[in-house]
Formats: sequence, structure tokens, C-alpha cells
Amino acid sequence: MIFWIGKLLAPFHAFSFLRLAEYLSSRSIGAALTAVLLTLWLTPKVIWWLQRRAFVDQVRETGIPSAFDKAGTPVMGGVVLVGVVAFSCLLWCNLGSGFSLLVLFGMVWFGAIGFVDDRAKMMAKSGDKGMSEPKKLLLQGAFAAVLVAVLASPLSPVPAHEASQLYLPFLKSSVLDNPWIYFPFVFVFVLLVGNSVNITDGMDGLAIVPSVFAISVLGVFGYLLGNAIWSRYLFYPLLPGAGELAVFASAFAGAGIGFLWFNAYPAQIFMGDTGSLSIGGSLAVASVLLKQEALFVILGGLFVAEAFSSQVQDKIGIKLLGRRLFARAPLHHAMAYNGLAETKVVVRLWIVAGILALAALATLKLR
Amino acid sequence: MRPGGDRRDAAPRMLQNPAEARRVKTGTRILLTGGGTAGHVNPALAIGAALAGPGSETLFVGVKGRAEEQVVPREGIPIRFVRASGFPGARPSPAFARFLFDVFAGTTQAAAILLRFRPDVIVGSGGFASAPVIFAATLLKKLGLSKARVFVHEQNAVPGKLNRLVGRFAEKVFVTFPETLSLFPGNGALTGYPVRGRIGHVAPQEARARLDFTVPEGRTVVLAFGGSQGSRSLNRGLVDALGDLMPHAGRLFVVHGTGLFKGGGYDAEADTAARLAERYTEEERARIATFYLARSYFHDIASVYALASLVVIRGGSGSLNEVARMGIPALVVPKANLPGDHQVANARALERAGGAEVLYEETILSEGHLVETLDGALLARRILALAEDPVRRADMSKKGRDVLGIDAAAEIAHHVLHGRARVALDPTLVPAPTVVSNAVLLSRLEKAATAAGRSYRVEDVVEPRDLSWFRSRAASLLVHDEWEARNLGVKLLGLLGATDKVPLLLALLADRTRAPLFHRLLGGDFAQVGFVRRNVFTALARLDVVDAGVEEALLAGLADPYWEVRAESARTATRFAGRLARSAEVVAALGTRLSDPNLEAASAAAEALGALGGEEDALPPLLALAEHRFWKVRAAALRGVLSLVERGQVRNREALKRVLSGFLLTSTDFRPQFELKLSYRRVLEALSRGEEAP
Repeated sequence: MIFWIGKLLAPFHAFSFLRLAEYLSSRSIGAALTAVLLTLWLTPKVIWWLQRRAFVDQVRETGIPSAFDKAGTPVMGGVVLVGVVAFSCLLWCNLGSGFSLLVLFGMVWFGAIGFVDDRAKMMAKSGDKGMSEPKKLLLQGAFAAVLVAVLASPLSPVPAHEASQLYLPFLKSSVLDNPWIYFPFVFVFVLLVGNSVNITDGMDGLAIVPSVFAISVLGVFGYLLGNAIWSRYLFYPLLPGAGELAVFASAFAGAGIGFLWFNAYPAQIFMGDTGSLSIGGSLAVASVLLKQEALFVILGGLFVAEAFSSQVQDKIGIKLLGRRLFARAPLHHAMAYNGLAETKVVVRLWIVAGILALAALATLKLR
Repeated sequence: MRPGGDRRDAAPRMLQNPAEARRVKTGTRILLTGGGTAGHVNPALAIGAALAGPGSETLFVGVKGRAEEQVVPREGIPIRFVRASGFPGARPSPAFARFLFDVFAGTTQAAAILLRFRPDVIVGSGGFASAPVIFAATLLKKLGLSKARVFVHEQNAVPGKLNRLVGRFAEKVFVTFPETLSLFPGNGALTGYPVRGRIGHVAPQEARARLDFTVPEGRTVVLAFGGSQGSRSLNRGLVDALGDLMPHAGRLFVVHGTGLFKGGGYDAEADTAARLAERYTEEERARIATFYLARSYFHDIASVYALASLVVIRGGSGSLNEVARMGIPALVVPKANLPGDHQVANARALERAGGAEVLYEETILSEGHLVETLDGALLARRILALAEDPVRRADMSKKGRDVLGIDAAAEIAHHVLHGRARVALDPTLVPAPTVVSNAVLLSRLEKAATAAGRSYRVEDVVEPRDLSWFRSRAASLLVHDEWEARNLGVKLLGLLGATDKVPLLLALLADRTRAPLFHRLLGGDFAQVGFVRRNVFTALARLDVVDAGVEEALLAGLADPYWEVRAESARTATRFAGRLARSAEVVAALGTRLSDPNLEAASAAAEALGALGGEEDALPPLLALAEHRFWKVRAAALRGVLSLVERGQVRNREALKRVLSGFLLTSTDFRPQFELKLSYRRVLEALSRGEEAP
């Protein structure tokens, strides 16, 4: 909104300072600050409101000494996250850009699925009785299908000659240009990545910090790839308008840090599926729009490891073979099983996520 | 014993009153559907025959390759096929996907058949084949493309999931047992079980003349058969019972229908003959021949029925209804763990009505294999008790006929034509029989065990009447193909306190059949998967039986390739401390377990060492864990040392204190205390204490 106001009024001398509103850098800073302050102001009220409506976490026995007695913590902090990011983006993003619209749509859609799931769990008073897995996948698949349809159409914000190119990290040119392979891949990618954060969200502060790292790196990519000079210098395809993702990422990072204020151990609020799915959805859409799908293996390596260990344990080990393949899964539970306190697990995994984010940034130049 | 089709020559049309048939308007188009087994096909055909009138046309819709493909054409009724499959449970699996596809495809096919045949009346008799037809009919009706009236007949006391769903779309659901009515409120009607034709009441003298064998006069005739295919456990149990029946040879005559089954390593007739030869001497066999006769199959069952004073049968709805209607008292041996345990429910329903007695199978260990058996001695006792009590038999005969002696086909025809019952049947609503499923039973027991802790007693949770039946049903799960079912059985046996089943549990551990190659490549090991083996130890600890076999298993468990089994067997050893004959060997095995790569197994071993060992064999290895990389193992070692001290095993206490000061005490975990929550709980505790006081 401010972007438009700026455009409208900047020609008038009295409002010439509004030219700032056209710069990505100033809009990004504005978005981050708005999000942080809004989250800090809003979350206590939301905690109070959730508590009153008994939207609180249900008893879950984890067997970890330092992670007990958490039942009763308000859940659905993701609502604040999604709301604040959306608000901040409405203020600071160029809403005429397909980049900002698609990523916002992804975040809200996935967040809404998570919200319904959280609500169902609250109603059933059980941590296991949320939305059924097929139903969740169906709703997420619907979004992925829409995304693919948009990307394959002339409405796509990605230039047509790039539409079905697949890039790998460390390689300068695309490895594949076949819509019949690329678009199904995008569909599956969105489903996998969209759900990966959900499994990581098992300890106080564990999901939000790596998410902030990942989305920030994607923001940097967006800024550079949307910029003609930088993209030429780094030999990336130019994606005009991708800079909007930097503004989105800033808003997200701001809201995430504001959320951490309350979510740090011992947490006063959990993000719930609302939060974890909306983060997953945002990461998935941003990666696809920036043509950095394969980078997610590095950038979101922590999420991948968490989701992979959990799926292998559950689907292959427990369901098929009738035994545990890992002592515990997902990863953070395995670390706690080995005798690490929750706080220690979380900080160690932050460090891992930080290293992975730096490695992902390094791929910008190492090609 | 007698596949349905063989009665067609003996039987005129079901309807006794031809006038009734004429009331069916000319040219009624009847569509029958249902099948999978003869038990579903025959009732449908019986109802069809009762509804048929002049000019009416009948079509049967079934599934290819099932019983109906054989039976229906023999009746001169055209048959069409649709796709259908059984409900595999609503969880994402290839089977579920196929089921959904089959339902969709089957319903489409059925819709096409319905549009072409344009039936006036549709009768479904259960089995998965009828579901797509009824779905299609309901759909077409909604669209205004069909005017067919839809009826369903339920043969079992507990309907399957699909039938329960299908029943909702029907104008009426005809049920066999009064218990079932409560599941179809609004549209249920008690009619009994329709049989095709009538097995004529042959006079005993005529029956003797018609049979190709002679039954001596003045004997009580016992007919035993396990259905047309036969039942292995019933056949074997009966042969075993003959020895105990021998002293009563002068008063009894046993007619045994072995069944026609051949395949899967079992030939009903040959196996029965072989078992007879194996168990009895030539002399005994000669004696047995005076009161025992075995046939694979009886062509003239009516004559056999006419002579029988007692039957020993399975719990299928068809045979139960038949004998009850004939007024023959039944000793029912239901097969356990079928869907909804319907044979058990049927048998219990008839038992409650007073027309039958129920006898359960047991799972036992035979030559290293788990097999389901019927205890011959027990069977003989139950047969004799009934054979020698004519008053009780007469009572059972009457009561059986009261419940199931209704002419169901005529009754159903009356319902269809006139919309109400023909004869007033006892309208008392009996609650649906509650055969608690294994899964429900398990969660109930687990809850009770968690709540009661060490003072848990199964007798407080399960009624003594049900206990032995629950135990034998759980044991029969141990032979199941799916490990989940075996696992369930293992858990249940432990919680049910089935100490007599310990050998069966040990047999699971001894079974080292390897898992399929594909599973081994992914990390599996044996067919008795890790969870099953682990839970066997949990169950053994609960059952608290220590004998040579258990000790052997314990030692093997400590060397198991799966760490959860090693950990659990170490915990079980702790529980058995002081009662083990081979304690020294166990302690040695536990000593090597301390270096287990898994911290849970190492910890459990350390605690077990403290409970079983002494200063010489346990203390040094425990103290050697002072700098173990996992604090949980160090903590377990300290707990082990503590039990050594408490058990008075440590003499040189000063030296131990010195060594302990070298223990690495930094740890990476802690237990937080939330002051606020503690205070809150203290208030609640104080309040609940106040409630108890006056």
C-alpha cells in the first residue's frame, strides 16, 4: 500500500521523501520493523485470548526429562505469525507483483489448513485427532496444482523462457527444460517442503529460528535475482520483480523474531500446525519462484533430515518391519533420547541450521 | 457339508402358500445381489424364490470367481458380475486404494445393469458384492432414474461394516437374530434366516431305510461337521474325543462329516483317517467302528438330520439356522477372530436363546508349531453331558426352534408385499451382542494396568466368564499371518495373565524364520519382528513365570540382534532377580551387555546387574562405566551400585566411596520444575484430600 502511495505522491515536491517507498531496501526494513513490533505488541493479547478459549496444547508424553509438563501452553501462535506477515506485506509489498501474491497466497492457504487441523485437535482434546492425513494432502495438493497451473500460464511472474527450467546448486546452467518433468516435480516439491517444517516443530524455538534463517537466505536470493546487475554478475537468470520476495522475507523474519521472544524455552506459546504449515508453504513457494528448488536440500537441510528420519522410522520401521530403525525419530527426539536437554538440542540445531544457511548463501558465488 | 446347490431337487419352491406368490404382481422384476460365500448366496436365492411369481424375472448380480458364479447358474437364474472387494480398513494403503477403485468401478457397472434391467425390487444379502449394487440403486433413485425398492438381509448377529452402511440405504433390513435389530433402528425387521427349500422332516424309520449305512437302534446319534469344506480343528478334536467316548459305545453313534477340503497341506478326509490310525490301536479302531462313521460328504443330509439328537458344528449363520430350525440341539465351536467375531456372536446369540452350547478352540504348541485345536477330552465330556440329558436336549430343541424356526423367506416376502410382518415375532429389543474386539480389549486392559500399576489384576477388569475365552482368542492370534495381529496377541496374553500360554510365547521367540529378503534389506531380521519379540519379554515379565524355558529365552534375548529386545530382556531379568536358577550365566551375559552400543540396553543391563549380581561379578563392571559417554548409562550404573549396596552386597564401603568420587557427574540434561504448576497441583491435592474427610 505504501508502495502505491509513494508512487502516487512522490512526484509532488512536498512528498518527495516517499520515493524511499520505491526502494526495496527501505521497504524491507520497514516490513521487518513493522512485523517485529506488531508481533511483540499482539502476541501477549493473543496468548491471553487463546488461554481463555482453551486453545491450549494437549498432554503429550515425550519421555524427555527437560521437556515435560508442557500441556496447557497455548497453541496456534502461527495465527499471529501469518496475520502479521500478511499485514506487513499489505503495507510494504508491491501487491501488483505475482511474486508477492503467490507467496502470500501459499502462506495463508497452508496456514489455514494448519488452523483447521489445530482447531480439530483442540475440539477432540487429543494431540492425535487432527485433520486426517489424506485430507490434509488433498488440500495442499489443490494449492500445489493451482501454483503449477499459474506457473505454466502467461500469468506467471517467472519469465516464459525460464518457466520449466530446473537449476541445481553449484551449476551455472539449467540441467533440464521439460515441462512434463518440471511441473510434476514442482507439485511434489510443494507437498514435501510444505510439510517438512511441521515435523521440526517439536521443541521450544526449534522451528522458528531455522525458518528465519532459511527465509532470509531466500530473501537475499530474491533481491539479487530480481536485480539486473547482480543477476548478471552472478550468472543467474534475471527474474524481474523477484525483489518483492526480499520484502516478504523481511516481514517473515521480523515476525519470526518477535514470535521467538515468546516461544523461547520455556515457551509461552506454540506456533502449532498453523505456524509450521504456513512456514513450509512460504518456503516452498519462494523456492519455486526463485527456481532454487534443489537448493532446499542444503538450505532446509535440517527440515529435510527431520522429516526424512520421521518418515523412515514410521513408514518403513514401525509400520512395515515392526521395529525401530532409529533409537528415536525425528532427529530432535533422537538427540533428546541420547540425553541432551531440550534447550541444548535446540541451540545445537540452530547452529546446524545457521551453517546450512551460510552454505546455501555460498552457492551464490560457488558455481 | 452340503453345498447349497444340492438341495434343489429335494425342494419345491420356498413359499408354502402359492396364493401368496400370486399376490406378487405379474412381471415383477427382481434383482438379487450378494455373495462371496455360499452363506450369502443361498439366502438371496431363497428370498428370490419366495418373491418370484408368474411372469416375474430374476437377475443375480455377484462377483466373478466367487461362490455365486457356480451356484446361481445351476438354479437357472441369469447372473451378471460387478467389481467389488472387501473393506480393508480406512487407512492409506494399496488395498484401500484398490477398494475405493473397486467401489467406484463396481457402482458404475451396477448402475449400467440397473438401468438395463429396471428392477422393481432389489434384495441384497450382504457380502461385499451387494454394496456396489445398493450404492448404484440409491444413486439412481436420487436421480429419479430408478424406482426399485431396496431390501437387505443380514445373516449374522454382528453385521460387517459394509452391511451396516448399506443397511442405511435400504427400505428395510431383515435380520436373523433379535440382537441385531438395535443396529438398524427404524428400518430393521426380525425375520430369521431364509433357507432354500425345506429339508423335509423325514421320519426316522424312513431315514434309516434311505441311508446307505446302518445306525444301530437305540443309540443317541451325534452328528459332527464343520461345513461343506470341513474344519481341521473340529475334525481332529472329534477323532481325539473318540477314545473318551469308547466306554459309551453301546449308547452312542457318532456320524462325522469331514468335509471336502483338499489343499494347503490339509486333506480333510485323509487327515481324519490318518489321525485315527495314528492315535488308536487296531483293536481300539475296531471298537470305534461300532459307534463311529466318517464320510466326506452326505448326499441325503435330511435323513442324517432326522436321526441326529445332537450336532457339533461351526458358528456360521447358515448351519446354525438350519439345525435350530430342525430342532436339533447344537454344540457350537465358533471360529475365532473372523471379522467382527461373527461366528462367536452367532453362537452366543443362540446360546443365550437356549438352543445351543458353545465350546471354544485353543491355540497350543505342537511339535514346535502353534496350531489351533479343539481339546478332544473336553469335547467328549460336553458331548456326553448332552447325550445323557434328554430333558435338556428337548428344552434346547424347543428354544432353538422358537428363535430361528421362522419361515424367513415367506416372512420377508410378506414384508416386501405388504410392508409389515406376517407373524408377530417377539419384539423385545435385545442389545446388540457385545463381542469385545481384541483391540478394544487391549486398550481397556492397558488403561487398567497403567492405573493400577503393580496391583493390577486382570480379574478386576474382565469378567471371569469371559477370561478363558479371551485368553484362547488372544492365543489364536499368535498364528496370524500379520505381525501386527501376533503382536496384539502377545500383548493381550501378558495383560490377561495367561500363564498357561507361556510356552506359546516362548515358541515365538524360538522361531527364527527369516524375514523376506526385501524386509531384511531395509533393516528387518526375523519373521517374528522386533516388536513382537520385545513384547514377548514384556508379557513374560508380567506373567511372572520363571522356568527353564523362560531362562533359556532370557539368555537368548540378551544376545538378540534388536536392541529393544536386549533392553527388555534385561529389564525382565531384573524383575526375576533371586528366582533364576542360571543366575550366574545371566549376570555374565549382562556384563557383556554393558558395552551395548544402544544406551537403553546398556542402562537396563546396568540396573539388572545391580539387582542380580554381587561385589565380585557386578561391582567392577558397573564402576568401569564411570566415564561412559552417555550420562544415562552412568546414571543407570549408579542405580545398579545403589541396589548392590541396598542388597548388602558391598563390604568395603570406604573403598567404594573413593572410587565413586571419580564418577563423571556432568550431564547434558536436567529436570525443570515449574513452580507455578507445582503450587497449582498442591492446591488441587489439598482440595481432593478435603473431599475425603468429612
